[in-house]
Amino acid sequence: MKRKLEISDENEYLKFLTKEKDISDQIINHSRSMITIINRDYIYEKVNSTFCNAHQLVLDTILGKSLGDFWGHDTFQNVIKRNVDICFSGKTVQYEATFITPTLGKRHFEVVFRPLTIEPGKITHLLAETFDIDELKNSKQAVIQKEEELRKFESNLPIGFLRCNPEGKILHANRAFLAIADCKDEQSITEMNLKNFYLDAELFELQMDQLTESHTRNFGMVNLKNSAGKEIPCRISGFLAVNGSGSPAYIDFAVEDCSRELMLENRLLQAQKLETIGSLAGGIAHDFNNILATISGYSEMLHDDLPKNSDMSEKVGKIQMAVKKAQSITNQILTFSRHVEQEKVLINVAEVLKETIGFVKSSIPSNIVLKSRITKMNVDVLADPTQLFRVFLNLMTNAIQSMEENGGVLTVGIDVVEREFVQHELNKDIVADEYALLMFKDTGEGMDPSLIGRIFEPFFTTREVGKGTGLGLSVIHGIITEMEGEIVVSSKKEKGSVFSVYLPVSKTYSDVTTKKGSRNKILFITGNKYESRILSLALESAGYELIFVSDGKNFARVMNNISERADLVIYMSDSKQIKPEDLAGIFRSENIVTPCILITDPMQDVSEEKLLNSGIINQQLTKPVSLKEIRNAIQELLR
Amino acid sequence: MPGVLIVEDDKELREMLKLSLLRKNYTVFEAENGKAAITHFKPQITDLVVTDLIMPEEDGLKVVIKLKEIKPSLKIIAISGGGKVGPGSYLNLAKALGADAIYSKPFSINELISKIEQLMDTEQHN
Repeated sequence: MKRKLEISDENEYLKFLTKEKDISDQIINHSRSMITIINRDYIYEKVNSTFCNAHQLVLDTILGKSLGDFWGHDTFQNVIKRNVDICFSGKTVQYEATFITPTLGKRHFEVVFRPLTIEPGKITHLLAETFDIDELKNSKQAVIQKEEELRKFESNLPIGFLRCNPEGKILHANRAFLAIADCKDEQSITEMNLKNFYLDAELFELQMDQLTESHTRNFGMVNLKNSAGKEIPCRISGFLAVNGSGSPAYIDFAVEDCSRELMLENRLLQAQKLETIGSLAGGIAHDFNNILATISGYSEMLHDDLPKNSDMSEKVGKIQMAVKKAQSITNQILTFSRHVEQEKVLINVAEVLKETIGFVKSSIPSNIVLKSRITKMNVDVLADPTQLFRVFLNLMTNAIQSMEENGGVLTVGIDVVEREFVQHELNKDIVADEYALLMFKDTGEGMDPSLIGRIFEPFFTTREVGKGTGLGLSVIHGIITEMEGEIVVSSKKEKGSVFSVYLPVSKTYSDVTTKKGSRNKILFITGNKYESRILSLALESAGYELIFVSDGKNFARVMNNISERADLVIYMSDSKQIKPEDLAGIFRSENIVTPCILITDPMQDVSEEKLLNSGIINQQLTKPVSLKEIRNAIQELLR
Repeated sequence: MPGVLIVEDDKELREMLKLSLLRKNYTVFEAENGKAAITHFKPQITDLVVTDLIMPEEDGLKVVIKLKEIKPSLKIIAISGGGKVGPGSYLNLAKALGADAIYSKPFSINELISKIEQLMDTEQHN
């Protein structure tokens, strides 16, 4: 509505104008923006109170001042003048600037220049408005920062996160989910539907229905299949967000890869199972030996009562042979279940491996190639070398047996790996910074995946019935566990198997190694130079001097030579050259009183009991003999 | 005839040992565990002990220590079927504690008997 002015007298008119000016001044002065009017000479012609207050100046000191004088020559030339000139060309200019005012300090402002046409047809002035946008700017920045933080958080989350539309089309996914899905980047996944990753598409539909009902749902373990076709067990939960009208807007999913967790859990279960079987087997073996002793005793009595060489006595003889066989099995079970702390010495595991390879090489079938990859020559571990030898020998023998029919390649290697690698691979307390990793890889029959978890159980065998007792790997598992190591296996049917043995690398010298003994001489009578070399590695490091003989003549010569005479004799019953019955003869005929340790092999059908009770044997040990046993025996006899 | 004490918790095995010794005219005493062996030990009429090592109540190692303490001239043969600590280790311990001979189960009964005879011979000679 237009006001109608009636001008009756000049004074009235002036009054009216003054009132109008007063009103517009009040409007202008009460504005929260700084408002000024600038003429073509860049001079302030009008400024409002907000401007004056902000700069803590009275009106008169600003009016008539040029922009250059007010803001400083540089700021005027570099920033202000350019924008002012654009405005005078007829355009509204808008820009952001940061400057300091005495009352407000340093703040962000938005500056707007509007051209003013006070004289018709000509831009004579400009209207400058400066708004304080500091808070706005700060909160905007805070929002951006928060968003960035959230984005980073989400992107670094070890748990997969993704958002999809109500139909399941993926809108966004974080890095962890990309890794699970085996997708390179987010772009490639946003074209896909989450349903495609479900092994069971019906399950996906069901879960979507459940989400529509209850909005938040924990689905537990679900098997996904990634774009590489790999099956991954995942723990999944979903959250459905609705829009204003209450219909589904989008769904957020958290997807946790549980394959490693499941694998470790499985392995732990396996270890517990083995331990249980171990103590159970130990008890059984003990009771079994009692039963065998009864059978053996009665059959011997029966044998004595029956006429010699009769049909019946022959049958009784067969019972006795069966008892012997059973005994060797119970002995192995006892080894599997033994959890006694072994005496360990600092030993170069690479050297033990080399000795074992040398031992195996001599008997390897011609259709099998043995490759050794020993990249590290000095890898010290704390171990009983005789046990290590057993482990390596057994793994290599197994590998060879798996390739016996069709031939193949057995690759044996040693490397050193960092604790991080081991931590990731094993479900164990990490006890060392580095681990020796020994690999035994064959190209043989391989195993069905379902069998892998069971191969360390005693009596488990993949060989046909009657070939082997299946105790080998369970015994190996026991030995490696004692060394705070771990054995893992991966295998593919028809492709072959890889056994990896991890042993903690030791940098500290054990008491045993540093304690150099009085260099007592020990004479070994043995038929197996590799195995005794292993034993000697340990005994030499414990300060003993070792002599090896393989036949009776040399034995007698060494024992008769004062400078060479040994302080102790160790007789291994595998010696072919000197039979147990010969040994007692040599001791007697040569008047030898040197203490003697007998090491028997339960798998060999040699009767040492006569030798044992002939009076020359001071100690008897049964293979597999541990370093602790042999050292205790030696120490006791040389005391 | 010399008196032999059999300490063995397995009844069948104990009876087998008893029978085989009776056949050789030994006087035989029995105990089904280490505790019974120590409590009822008769030093005047016992010359030799055949003892198992892992048994309920007191074990065989205790038998070796205690009975040797009561009668130092007593001969002891330890027999064992092994246990949690592996084959042989307990036997070595028994030997270290004073057992005169050790056998791991199953053993040859004839060898055990001849060992007993040998130990009893040296006893008579002393």
